[in-house]
Amino acid sequence: MSRATATRLRLHDLQLAQGNRTVLEHVEGSFRDGAITALIGANGTGKSTLIQGIMGMLKPIAGRVECSVPRERRAWLPQQLALDLSFPMSVEELVMTGSWPSHGALTGYCASHYRRGREIMARLGISHLAHRPLGELSGGQRQRALIGRTLMQEAELLLLDEPFANVDAETVDVLMTVLRDMAQAGATIIVVLHDMEQLARLADEVVLLASGHVQWSSPDAVLKTQAPHAAAASLSIAMPGVGTC
Amino acid sequence: MLALLHEWLIAPFDYGFMRRALVAGLALSLAAPPMGVFLVLRGMSLIGDAMAHAILPGVALGFLVAGFSLPIMSLGGVLSGLLVAVLAGSVSQMTGQREDAAMASFFLISLAAGVMLVSLGGSSVDLTHVLFGSILAVNSTALILIAAISSLIVVILASIFRALVVECLDPLFLRGQGVHGGLVHGIFLGLVVLNLTAGFQTLGTLMAVGLMMLPATAARFWSKRLEGLIGVAVGIAMVASSGGLLLSYHLGIPSGPAIILLAGVGYMLSALLGRHHSLRARLQRQAAPLGAPEPH
Repeated sequence: MSRATATRLRLHDLQLAQGNRTVLEHVEGSFRDGAITALIGANGTGKSTLIQGIMGMLKPIAGRVECSVPRERRAWLPQQLALDLSFPMSVEELVMTGSWPSHGALTGYCASHYRRGREIMARLGISHLAHRPLGELSGGQRQRALIGRTLMQEAELLLLDEPFANVDAETVDVLMTVLRDMAQAGATIIVVLHDMEQLARLADEVVLLASGHVQWSSPDAVLKTQAPHAAAASLSIAMPGVGTC
Repeated sequence: MLALLHEWLIAPFDYGFMRRALVAGLALSLAAPPMGVFLVLRGMSLIGDAMAHAILPGVALGFLVAGFSLPIMSLGGVLSGLLVAVLAGSVSQMTGQREDAAMASFFLISLAAGVMLVSLGGSSVDLTHVLFGSILAVNSTALILIAAISSLIVVILASIFRALVVECLDPLFLRGQGVHGGLVHGIFLGLVVLNLTAGFQTLGTLMAVGLMMLPATAARFWSKRLEGLIGVAVGIAMVASSGGLLLSYHLGIPSGPAIILLAGVGYMLSALLGRHHSLRARLQRQAAPLGAPEPH
Protein backbone atom coordinates (compact mmCIF):
# COMPACT_ATOMS: atom_id res chain seq x y z
CA MET A 1 0.00 0.00 0.00
CA SER A 2 1.36 3.42 -0.86
CA ARG A 3 2.00 5.80 1.97
CA ALA A 4 1.76 9.09 0.16
CA THR A 5 3.20 12.29 1.54
CA ALA A 6 0.59 14.53 -0.14
CA THR A 7 -2.83 13.18 -0.90
CA ARG A 8 -6.29 14.54 -1.34
CA LEU A 9 -7.97 11.18 -1.86
CA ARG A 10 -8.11 8.50 0.83
CA LEU A 11 -10.22 5.39 1.08
CA HIS A 12 -11.14 4.24 4.58
CA ASP A 13 -12.16 0.58 4.95
CA LEU A 14 -14.43 0.98 1.96
CA GLN A 15 -17.05 -1.59 1.03
CA LEU A 16 -18.89 -1.20 -2.26
CA ALA A 17 -21.74 -3.24 -3.70
CA GLN A 18 -23.70 -3.46 -6.94
CA GLY A 19 -27.24 -4.36 -5.97
CA ASN A 20 -27.04 -7.02 -3.28
CA ARG A 21 -23.59 -8.24 -4.31
CA THR A 22 -20.53 -6.91 -2.51
CA VAL A 23 -17.91 -6.16 -5.13
CA LEU A 24 -15.11 -4.72 -3.01
CA GLU A 25 -14.44 -4.71 0.74
CA HIS A 26 -11.84 -3.46 3.20
CA VAL A 27 -10.43 -1.07 0.61
CA GLU A 28 -7.93 1.08 2.41
CA GLY A 29 -5.33 3.43 0.97
CA SER A 30 -4.54 6.79 -0.55
CA PHE A 31 -3.78 8.14 -4.00
CA ARG A 32 -0.75 10.39 -4.24
CA ASP A 33 -1.13 13.92 -5.63
CA GLY A 34 0.70 14.32 -8.92
CA ALA A 35 0.83 10.57 -9.54
CA ILE A 36 -0.84 8.42 -12.15
CA THR A 37 -2.30 5.29 -10.58
CA ALA A 38 -3.33 2.39 -12.79
CA LEU A 39 -6.25 0.20 -11.74
CA ILE A 40 -5.79 -3.29 -13.10
CA GLY A 41 -7.71 -6.49 -12.68
CA ALA A 42 -9.78 -8.96 -14.63
CA ASN A 43 -13.26 -8.09 -15.87
CA GLY A 44 -15.77 -7.97 -13.02
CA THR A 45 -13.22 -7.36 -10.27
CA GLY A 46 -14.67 -3.94 -9.48
CA LYS A 47 -12.58 -1.38 -11.32
CA SER A 48 -15.57 0.62 -12.54
CA THR A 49 -17.29 0.10 -9.18
CA LEU A 50 -14.31 1.62 -7.39
CA ILE A 51 -14.36 4.60 -9.76
CA GLN A 52 -18.07 5.10 -9.12
CA GLY A 53 -17.45 4.93 -5.38
CA ILE A 54 -14.66 7.50 -5.57
CA MET A 55 -16.82 9.83 -7.69
CA GLY A 56 -19.59 9.59 -5.10
CA MET A 57 -22.01 7.96 -7.52
CA LEU A 58 -22.17 4.74 -5.57
CA LYS A 59 -22.89 4.96 -1.88
CA PRO A 60 -20.56 2.78 0.19
CA ILE A 61 -22.03 -0.06 2.25
CA ALA A 62 -19.36 0.65 4.82
CA GLY A 63 -16.32 2.88 5.18
CA ARG A 64 -15.88 6.17 3.41
CA VAL A 65 -14.11 8.09 0.68
CA GLU A 66 -12.26 11.16 1.91
CA CYS A 67 -11.69 13.56 -0.97
CA SER A 68 -10.65 17.17 -0.57
CA VAL A 69 -10.66 17.98 -4.29
CA PRO A 70 -13.56 20.37 -4.99
CA ARG A 71 -16.37 18.68 -6.89
CA GLU A 72 -16.06 21.00 -9.89
CA ARG A 73 -12.42 19.90 -10.24
CA ARG A 74 -13.25 16.20 -10.33
CA ALA A 75 -13.62 14.61 -13.74
CA TRP A 76 -14.68 11.16 -14.77
CA LEU A 77 -14.08 10.01 -18.30
CA PRO A 78 -16.25 6.96 -18.76
CA GLN A 79 -16.06 4.66 -21.72
CA GLN A 80 -17.16 6.51 -24.83
CA LEU A 81 -20.49 4.78 -25.23
CA ALA A 82 -21.91 6.90 -22.39
CA LEU A 83 -22.11 9.84 -24.81
CA ASP A 84 -25.17 10.53 -26.94
CA LEU A 85 -23.36 10.98 -30.23
CA SER A 86 -26.48 12.05 -32.10
CA PHE A 87 -26.68 15.21 -29.99
CA PRO A 88 -25.91 18.25 -32.16
CA MET A 89 -22.73 19.40 -30.49
CA SER A 90 -19.39 20.31 -32.01
CA VAL A 91 -15.95 19.48 -30.66
CA GLU A 92 -15.42 23.07 -29.54
CA GLU A 93 -18.76 23.12 -27.73
CA LEU A 94 -17.93 19.87 -25.95
CA VAL A 95 -14.56 21.22 -24.82
CA MET A 96 -16.25 24.42 -23.61
CA THR A 97 -18.69 22.48 -21.42
CA GLY A 98 -15.67 21.71 -19.25
CA SER A 99 -15.77 25.26 -17.94
CA TRP A 100 -19.44 24.95 -17.04
CA PRO A 101 -19.08 23.54 -13.49
CA SER A 102 -16.93 26.43 -12.30
CA HIS A 103 -18.37 29.06 -14.62
CA GLY A 104 -22.02 28.72 -13.66
CA ALA A 105 -25.18 28.11 -15.59
CA LEU A 106 -26.21 31.61 -16.56
CA THR A 107 -23.06 33.52 -17.49
CA GLY A 108 -21.95 33.40 -21.10
CA TYR A 109 -18.43 32.45 -22.13
CA CYS A 110 -16.02 35.33 -22.60
CA ALA A 111 -13.15 35.70 -25.09
CA SER A 112 -10.61 34.27 -22.64
CA HIS A 113 -12.66 31.06 -22.32
CA TYR A 114 -12.75 30.61 -26.07
CA ARG A 115 -9.03 31.40 -26.28
CA ARG A 116 -8.29 28.72 -23.71
CA GLY A 117 -10.55 26.29 -25.50
CA ARG A 118 -8.65 26.88 -28.75
CA GLU A 119 -5.29 26.44 -26.97
CA ILE A 120 -6.47 23.14 -25.52
CA MET A 121 -7.70 21.90 -28.90
CA ALA A 122 -4.35 22.87 -30.47
CA ARG A 123 -2.50 20.99 -27.73
CA LEU A 124 -4.56 17.90 -28.47
CA GLY A 125 -4.21 18.29 -32.23
CA ILE A 126 -7.93 18.72 -32.87
CA SER A 127 -8.10 22.40 -33.86
CA HIS A 128 -9.13 21.45 -37.39
CA LEU A 129 -12.09 19.52 -35.97
CA ALA A 130 -13.43 22.38 -33.83
CA HIS A 131 -16.72 22.70 -35.69
CA ARG A 132 -17.24 19.05 -36.54
CA PRO A 133 -20.20 17.28 -34.87
CA LEU A 134 -19.25 14.67 -32.30
CA GLY A 135 -21.07 11.96 -34.23
CA GLU A 136 -18.68 12.38 -37.15
CA LEU A 137 -15.48 11.83 -35.16
CA SER A 138 -13.35 8.70 -34.97
CA GLY A 139 -12.85 7.00 -31.60
CA GLY A 140 -9.45 8.63 -31.13
CA GLN A 141 -10.69 12.09 -32.07
CA ARG A 142 -13.59 11.76 -29.65
CA GLN A 143 -11.28 10.71 -26.85
CA ARG A 144 -9.04 13.72 -27.51
CA ALA A 145 -12.11 15.98 -27.36
CA LEU A 146 -13.19 14.43 -24.05
CA ILE A 147 -9.72 14.90 -22.56
CA GLY A 148 -9.98 18.49 -23.82
CA ARG A 149 -13.08 18.91 -21.70
CA THR A 150 -11.24 17.76 -18.58
CA LEU A 151 -8.39 20.19 -19.37
CA MET A 152 -10.96 22.97 -19.71
CA GLN A 153 -12.35 21.88 -16.38
CA GLU A 154 -8.86 22.18 -14.86
CA ALA A 155 -9.47 18.78 -13.32
CA GLU A 156 -7.41 18.04 -10.22
CA LEU A 157 -8.82 14.55 -9.82
CA LEU A 158 -9.20 12.64 -13.06
CA LEU A 159 -10.61 9.12 -13.34
CA LEU A 160 -10.38 7.44 -16.72
CA ASP A 161 -12.04 4.17 -17.62
CA GLU A 162 -10.00 2.44 -20.32
CA PRO A 163 -9.11 5.69 -22.11
CA PHE A 164 -6.95 3.99 -24.76
CA ALA A 165 -9.44 1.35 -25.87
CA ASN A 166 -10.06 1.50 -29.64
CA VAL A 167 -7.75 4.48 -29.98
CA ASP A 168 -4.97 4.86 -32.55
CA ALA A 169 -1.31 4.85 -31.49
CA GLU A 170 -0.78 8.54 -32.24
CA THR A 171 -3.72 9.48 -30.04
CA VAL A 172 -2.38 7.25 -27.26
CA ASP A 173 0.92 9.19 -27.40
CA VAL A 174 -0.83 12.56 -27.34
CA LEU A 175 -3.12 11.56 -24.45
CA MET A 176 -0.27 10.09 -22.42
CA THR A 177 1.73 13.31 -22.81
CA VAL A 178 -1.25 15.39 -21.70
CA LEU A 179 -1.94 13.12 -18.71
CA ARG A 180 1.71 13.26 -17.68
CA ASP A 181 1.63 17.08 -17.88
CA MET A 182 -1.53 17.15 -15.75
CA ALA A 183 0.06 14.91 -13.15
CA GLN A 184 3.19 17.08 -13.06
CA ALA A 185 0.90 20.04 -12.42
CA GLY A 186 -0.31 18.20 -9.30
CA ALA A 187 -3.45 16.39 -10.50
CA THR A 188 -4.35 12.98 -9.07
CA ILE A 189 -5.00 10.64 -11.97
CA ILE A 190 -6.51 7.16 -11.79
CA VAL A 191 -6.65 5.11 -14.97
CA VAL A 192 -8.23 1.73 -15.64
CA LEU A 193 -5.78 -0.13 -17.86
CA HIS A 194 -5.58 -3.57 -19.41
CA ASP A 195 -2.44 -3.20 -21.48
CA MET A 196 0.85 -3.86 -19.68
CA GLU A 197 2.87 -1.79 -22.16
CA GLN A 198 0.64 1.21 -21.51
CA LEU A 199 0.98 0.57 -17.78
CA ALA A 200 4.76 0.55 -18.11
CA ARG A 201 4.74 3.85 -20.00
CA LEU A 202 2.20 5.72 -17.91
CA ALA A 203 1.72 4.51 -14.35
CA ASP A 204 3.55 5.68 -11.24
CA GLU A 205 1.59 3.37 -8.98
CA VAL A 206 -0.65 0.37 -9.47
CA VAL A 207 -3.74 -0.84 -7.67
CA LEU A 208 -4.48 -4.51 -8.25
CA LEU A 209 -8.08 -5.64 -7.90
CA ALA A 210 -8.93 -9.28 -7.36
CA SER A 211 -11.42 -11.34 -5.38
CA GLY A 212 -13.08 -8.28 -3.87
CA HIS A 213 -9.88 -6.81 -2.48
CA VAL A 214 -7.30 -4.28 -3.62
CA GLN A 215 -3.58 -4.11 -3.20
CA TRP A 216 -1.26 -1.20 -3.86
CA SER A 217 1.84 -2.02 -5.84
CA SER A 218 4.37 -0.46 -8.22
CA PRO A 219 4.57 -0.81 -12.00
CA ASP A 220 7.95 -2.54 -11.70
CA ALA A 221 6.62 -5.13 -9.29
CA VAL A 222 3.63 -5.85 -11.50
CA LEU A 223 5.66 -5.96 -14.70
CA LYS A 224 8.14 -8.40 -13.19
CA THR A 225 5.36 -10.92 -12.85
CA GLN A 226 3.71 -10.18 -16.20
CA ALA A 227 4.70 -10.60 -19.82
CA PRO A 228 4.70 -7.30 -21.73
CA HIS A 229 1.80 -6.51 -24.09
CA ALA A 230 -0.46 -8.93 -22.27
CA ALA A 231 -3.88 -8.06 -21.01
CA ALA A 232 -4.26 -8.24 -17.27
CA ALA A 233 -7.65 -9.86 -17.75
CA SER A 234 -6.04 -12.92 -19.17
CA LEU A 235 -3.23 -13.11 -16.66
CA SER A 236 -2.84 -14.30 -13.14
CA ILE A 237 -2.12 -11.32 -10.93
CA ALA A 238 -0.55 -12.45 -7.71
CA MET A 239 -2.05 -10.90 -4.61
CA PRO A 240 -0.76 -12.27 -1.36
CA GLY A 241 -3.53 -13.32 0.92
CA VAL A 242 -6.39 -12.86 -1.55
CA GLY A 243 -5.62 -15.48 -4.13
CA THR A 244 -5.45 -14.78 -7.83
CA CYS A 245 -7.84 -13.39 -10.40
CA MET B 1 -50.73 44.65 -55.27
CA LEU B 2 -49.91 46.38 -52.01
CA ALA B 3 -53.60 46.80 -51.32
CA LEU B 4 -54.11 43.08 -51.88
CA LEU B 5 -51.26 42.22 -49.54
CA HIS B 6 -52.67 44.59 -46.96
CA GLU B 7 -56.08 43.06 -47.31
CA TRP B 8 -54.67 39.51 -46.91
CA LEU B 9 -51.99 39.99 -44.30
CA ILE B 10 -52.74 43.14 -42.27
CA ALA B 11 -56.44 43.93 -42.43
CA PRO B 12 -57.59 40.82 -40.55
CA PHE B 13 -55.68 42.05 -37.53
CA ASP B 14 -57.83 45.17 -37.34
CA TYR B 15 -60.10 42.95 -35.29
CA GLY B 16 -59.26 42.66 -31.61
CA PHE B 17 -59.93 38.93 -31.45
CA MET B 18 -57.45 38.37 -34.31
CA ARG B 19 -54.80 40.52 -32.63
CA ARG B 20 -55.19 38.63 -29.35
CA ALA B 21 -55.07 35.31 -31.19
CA LEU B 22 -51.91 36.41 -33.00
CA VAL B 23 -50.15 37.46 -29.79
CA ALA B 24 -51.19 34.20 -28.10
CA GLY B 25 -49.95 32.17 -31.05
CA LEU B 26 -46.62 34.02 -31.20
CA ALA B 27 -46.10 33.66 -27.43
CA LEU B 28 -46.68 29.92 -27.69
CA SER B 29 -44.43 29.80 -30.74
CA LEU B 30 -41.57 31.21 -28.67
CA ALA B 31 -41.95 28.81 -25.77
CA ALA B 32 -43.13 25.52 -27.25
CA PRO B 33 -40.64 24.70 -30.07
CA PRO B 34 -37.49 24.74 -27.88
CA MET B 35 -39.16 22.15 -25.63
CA GLY B 36 -39.96 20.11 -28.72
CA VAL B 37 -36.35 20.31 -29.90
CA PHE B 38 -35.13 18.86 -26.60
CA LEU B 39 -37.83 16.18 -26.64
CA VAL B 40 -36.75 15.12 -30.14
CA LEU B 41 -33.08 15.12 -29.17
CA ARG B 42 -33.80 12.99 -26.11
CA GLY B 43 -35.74 10.48 -28.20
CA MET B 44 -38.92 11.43 -26.35
CA SER B 45 -40.96 12.78 -29.25
CA LEU B 46 -44.11 10.98 -28.15
CA ILE B 47 -43.85 12.08 -24.51
CA GLY B 48 -45.29 15.47 -25.47
CA ASP B 49 -48.32 13.69 -26.88
CA ALA B 50 -48.65 11.60 -23.73
CA MET B 51 -48.43 14.67 -21.51
CA ALA B 52 -51.03 16.45 -23.63
CA HIS B 53 -53.46 13.68 -22.74
CA ALA B 54 -52.34 13.73 -19.14
CA ILE B 55 -53.47 17.31 -18.56
CA LEU B 56 -57.00 16.55 -19.77
CA PRO B 57 -58.51 15.18 -16.51
CA GLY B 58 -57.25 18.21 -14.57
CA VAL B 59 -58.61 20.62 -17.16
CA ALA B 60 -61.93 18.76 -17.05
CA LEU B 61 -62.05 18.86 -13.26
CA GLY B 62 -61.29 22.57 -13.32
CA PHE B 63 -64.13 22.98 -15.82
CA LEU B 64 -66.53 21.04 -13.59
CA VAL B 65 -65.59 23.06 -10.51
CA ALA B 66 -65.38 26.57 -11.92
CA GLY B 67 -66.93 26.46 -15.38
CA PHE B 68 -64.96 27.89 -18.28
CA SER B 69 -62.36 29.62 -16.09
CA LEU B 70 -59.00 29.46 -17.79
CA PRO B 71 -56.84 29.97 -14.66
CA ILE B 72 -58.64 27.18 -12.75
CA MET B 73 -58.61 24.82 -15.75
CA SER B 74 -54.91 25.58 -16.30
CA LEU B 75 -54.10 24.88 -12.68
CA GLY B 76 -55.98 21.59 -12.92
CA GLY B 77 -54.10 20.74 -16.10
CA VAL B 78 -50.69 21.44 -14.56
CA LEU B 79 -51.51 19.38 -11.47
CA SER B 80 -52.86 16.39 -13.35
CA GLY B 81 -49.99 16.51 -15.88
CA LEU B 82 -47.41 16.51 -13.10
CA LEU B 83 -49.30 13.79 -11.22
CA VAL B 84 -49.33 11.53 -14.26
CA ALA B 85 -45.62 12.17 -14.90
CA VAL B 86 -44.79 11.30 -11.28
CA LEU B 87 -47.07 8.24 -11.32
CA ALA B 88 -45.62 6.94 -14.57
CA GLY B 89 -42.08 7.50 -13.25
CA SER B 90 -42.91 5.77 -9.96
CA VAL B 91 -44.55 2.75 -11.60
CA SER B 92 -41.58 2.49 -13.93
CA GLN B 93 -39.12 2.65 -11.00
CA MET B 94 -41.05 0.25 -8.77
CA THR B 95 -41.86 -2.37 -11.38
CA GLY B 96 -38.96 -2.01 -13.76
CA GLN B 97 -41.33 -1.36 -16.66
CA ARG B 98 -39.96 1.04 -19.26
CA GLU B 99 -41.03 4.63 -18.64
CA ASP B 100 -42.56 5.02 -22.10
CA ALA B 101 -44.78 1.97 -21.53
CA ALA B 102 -45.94 3.31 -18.14
CA MET B 103 -46.50 6.73 -19.69
CA ALA B 104 -48.52 5.24 -22.57
CA SER B 105 -50.75 3.41 -20.10
CA PHE B 106 -51.35 6.48 -17.96
CA PHE B 107 -52.07 8.80 -20.86
CA LEU B 108 -54.74 6.48 -22.20
CA ILE B 109 -56.32 6.32 -18.74
CA SER B 110 -56.06 10.11 -18.53
CA LEU B 111 -57.71 10.64 -21.89
CA ALA B 112 -60.65 8.39 -21.00
CA ALA B 113 -61.01 9.98 -17.56
CA GLY B 114 -60.87 13.47 -19.01
CA VAL B 115 -63.46 12.83 -21.72
CA MET B 116 -65.69 11.15 -19.14
CA LEU B 117 -65.45 14.12 -16.75
CA VAL B 118 -66.19 16.72 -19.42
CA SER B 119 -69.13 14.69 -20.73
CA LEU B 120 -70.57 14.36 -17.24
CA GLY B 121 -70.49 18.08 -16.60
CA GLY B 122 -70.94 19.70 -19.98
CA SER B 123 -72.06 19.37 -23.53
CA SER B 124 -70.33 18.08 -26.64
CA VAL B 125 -69.55 21.71 -27.50
CA ASP B 126 -67.58 22.02 -24.24
CA LEU B 127 -65.77 18.78 -25.00
CA THR B 128 -64.81 20.01 -28.46
CA HIS B 129 -63.59 23.26 -26.95
CA VAL B 130 -61.35 21.51 -24.43
CA LEU B 131 -60.04 18.96 -26.91
CA PHE B 132 -59.48 21.27 -29.85
CA GLY B 133 -59.31 24.79 -28.40
CA SER B 134 -60.53 28.06 -29.74
CA ILE B 135 -57.79 30.55 -30.38
CA LEU B 136 -60.21 33.14 -31.72
CA ALA B 137 -61.99 33.16 -28.36
CA VAL B 138 -58.88 34.18 -26.39
CA ASN B 139 -59.79 37.09 -24.13
CA SER B 140 -57.47 39.49 -22.32
CA THR B 141 -57.26 37.33 -19.17
CA ALA B 142 -56.37 34.26 -21.20
CA LEU B 143 -53.86 36.25 -23.21
CA ILE B 144 -52.09 37.50 -20.09
CA LEU B 145 -52.01 33.96 -18.70
CA ILE B 146 -50.62 32.52 -21.93
CA ALA B 147 -48.00 35.27 -22.23
CA ALA B 148 -46.99 34.94 -18.57
CA ILE B 149 -46.63 31.15 -18.75
CA SER B 150 -44.70 31.37 -22.03
CA SER B 151 -42.34 33.98 -20.56
CA LEU B 152 -41.83 31.89 -17.44
CA ILE B 153 -41.01 28.85 -19.56
CA VAL B 154 -38.44 30.76 -21.61
CA VAL B 155 -36.76 32.13 -18.47
CA ILE B 156 -36.64 28.76 -16.69
CA LEU B 157 -35.45 27.00 -19.84
CA ALA B 158 -32.66 29.57 -20.19
CA SER B 159 -31.68 28.94 -16.56
CA ILE B 160 -31.41 25.18 -16.95
CA PHE B 161 -30.24 25.28 -20.57
CA ARG B 162 -26.62 24.23 -19.98
CA ALA B 163 -27.57 21.58 -17.47
CA LEU B 164 -30.15 20.25 -19.90
CA VAL B 165 -27.64 20.15 -22.75
CA VAL B 166 -25.07 18.34 -20.62
CA GLU B 167 -27.75 15.99 -19.26
CA CYS B 168 -28.77 15.08 -22.81
CA LEU B 169 -25.20 14.64 -24.04
CA ASP B 170 -23.46 13.08 -21.08
CA PRO B 171 -25.56 12.53 -17.93
CA LEU B 172 -22.57 11.07 -16.09
CA PHE B 173 -20.68 14.35 -16.42
CA LEU B 174 -23.60 16.15 -14.80
CA ARG B 175 -23.82 13.59 -12.00
CA GLY B 176 -20.10 13.95 -11.45
CA GLN B 177 -20.70 17.62 -10.73
CA GLY B 178 -23.24 16.77 -8.07
CA VAL B 179 -26.26 17.80 -10.13
CA HIS B 180 -28.89 15.09 -10.12
CA GLY B 181 -29.97 14.49 -13.71
CA GLY B 182 -33.42 13.50 -12.45
CA LEU B 183 -33.93 17.01 -11.11
CA VAL B 184 -33.13 18.61 -14.46
CA HIS B 185 -35.30 16.03 -16.22
CA GLY B 186 -38.16 16.68 -13.77
CA ILE B 187 -38.01 20.45 -14.24
CA PHE B 188 -37.96 19.93 -17.99
CA LEU B 189 -41.04 17.67 -17.91
CA GLY B 190 -42.75 20.23 -15.66
CA LEU B 191 -42.08 22.87 -18.32
CA VAL B 192 -43.58 20.59 -20.98
CA VAL B 193 -46.75 20.26 -18.91
CA LEU B 194 -46.86 24.01 -18.27
CA ASN B 195 -46.43 24.66 -21.96
CA LEU B 196 -49.24 22.33 -22.96
CA THR B 197 -51.47 23.92 -20.35
CA ALA B 198 -50.79 27.34 -21.83
CA GLY B 199 -51.64 25.97 -25.24
CA PHE B 200 -54.90 24.17 -24.57
CA GLN B 201 -57.06 27.32 -24.64
CA THR B 202 -55.83 28.18 -28.10
CA LEU B 203 -55.26 24.81 -29.73
CA GLY B 204 -56.91 22.35 -27.35
CA THR B 205 -55.28 19.70 -25.22
CA LEU B 206 -54.83 17.35 -28.16
CA MET B 207 -53.35 19.79 -30.64
CA ALA B 208 -51.25 22.01 -28.36
CA VAL B 209 -48.50 19.45 -28.71
CA GLY B 210 -48.49 20.04 -32.48
CA LEU B 211 -46.93 23.48 -32.14
CA MET B 212 -44.28 21.91 -29.91
CA MET B 213 -43.33 18.90 -31.99
CA LEU B 214 -43.92 19.64 -35.69
CA PRO B 215 -41.59 22.68 -35.89
CA ALA B 216 -38.99 20.75 -33.89
CA THR B 217 -39.08 17.68 -36.12
CA ALA B 218 -39.02 19.91 -39.22
CA ALA B 219 -35.99 21.83 -37.91
CA ARG B 220 -33.91 18.63 -37.88
CA PHE B 221 -33.86 18.88 -41.69
CA TRP B 222 -32.37 22.38 -41.64
CA SER B 223 -29.70 22.55 -38.95
CA LYS B 224 -27.16 20.38 -37.18
CA ARG B 225 -26.61 22.87 -34.38
CA LEU B 226 -28.73 23.24 -31.27
CA GLU B 227 -29.13 27.01 -31.63
CA GLY B 228 -30.00 26.49 -35.28
CA LEU B 229 -32.60 23.86 -34.44
CA ILE B 230 -34.27 26.11 -31.88
CA GLY B 231 -34.16 29.16 -34.15
CA VAL B 232 -35.61 27.31 -37.15
CA ALA B 233 -38.28 25.63 -35.01
CA VAL B 234 -39.40 28.95 -33.50
CA GLY B 235 -39.48 30.48 -36.98
CA ILE B 236 -41.62 27.68 -38.40
CA ALA B 237 -43.98 27.87 -35.41
CA MET B 238 -44.39 31.64 -35.82
CA VAL B 239 -45.12 31.34 -39.54
CA ALA B 240 -47.56 28.50 -38.85
CA SER B 241 -49.34 30.45 -36.10
CA SER B 242 -49.79 33.67 -38.02
CA GLY B 243 -50.33 31.93 -41.37
CA GLY B 244 -52.85 29.53 -39.87
CA LEU B 245 -54.81 32.40 -38.37
CA LEU B 246 -54.92 34.21 -41.71
CA LEU B 247 -56.00 31.07 -43.54
CA SER B 248 -58.65 30.49 -40.93
CA TYR B 249 -59.92 34.05 -41.34
CA HIS B 250 -59.94 34.11 -45.13
CA LEU B 251 -61.12 30.58 -45.82
CA GLY B 252 -63.49 30.23 -42.88
CA ILE B 253 -61.81 27.12 -41.55
CA PRO B 254 -61.14 26.23 -37.87
CA SER B 255 -58.10 28.12 -36.63
CA GLY B 256 -56.44 25.43 -34.44
CA PRO B 257 -56.29 22.75 -37.11
CA ALA B 258 -55.24 25.38 -39.69
CA ILE B 259 -52.21 26.32 -37.55
CA ILE B 260 -51.17 22.74 -36.92
CA LEU B 261 -51.77 21.70 -40.53
CA LEU B 262 -49.61 24.60 -41.69
CA ALA B 263 -46.87 23.43 -39.32
CA GLY B 264 -47.40 19.98 -40.85
CA VAL B 265 -46.88 21.44 -44.33
CA GLY B 266 -43.66 22.96 -42.97
CA TYR B 267 -42.58 19.52 -41.82
CA MET B 268 -43.39 17.87 -45.15
CA LEU B 269 -41.58 20.56 -47.13
CA SER B 270 -38.58 20.29 -44.80
CA ALA B 271 -38.47 16.52 -45.22
CA LEU B 272 -38.50 17.01 -48.99
CA LEU B 273 -36.27 20.06 -49.39
CA GLY B 274 -34.29 20.56 -46.16
CA ARG B 275 -30.48 20.92 -46.05
CA HIS B 276 -29.77 17.78 -44.05
CA HIS B 277 -31.07 14.24 -44.47
CA SER B 278 -34.02 15.40 -46.59
CA LEU B 279 -35.02 13.64 -49.78
CA ARG B 280 -33.32 16.38 -51.83
CA ALA B 281 -30.14 16.25 -49.72
CA ARG B 282 -29.98 12.47 -50.12
CA LEU B 283 -30.38 12.69 -53.89
CA GLN B 284 -27.71 15.38 -54.17
CA ARG B 285 -25.31 13.83 -51.68
CA GLN B 286 -21.72 13.79 -52.84
CA ALA B 287 -18.67 13.04 -50.75
CA ALA B 288 -16.41 16.07 -50.26
CA PRO B 289 -12.92 15.55 -51.72
CA LEU B 290 -10.02 14.93 -49.36
CA GLY B 291 -8.56 18.17 -48.04
CA ALA B 292 -11.77 20.13 -48.52
CA PRO B 293 -12.41 22.75 -45.83
CA GLU B 294 -14.53 21.68 -42.86
CA PRO B 295 -18.19 22.62 -43.23
CA HIS B 296 -19.25 24.93 -40.40
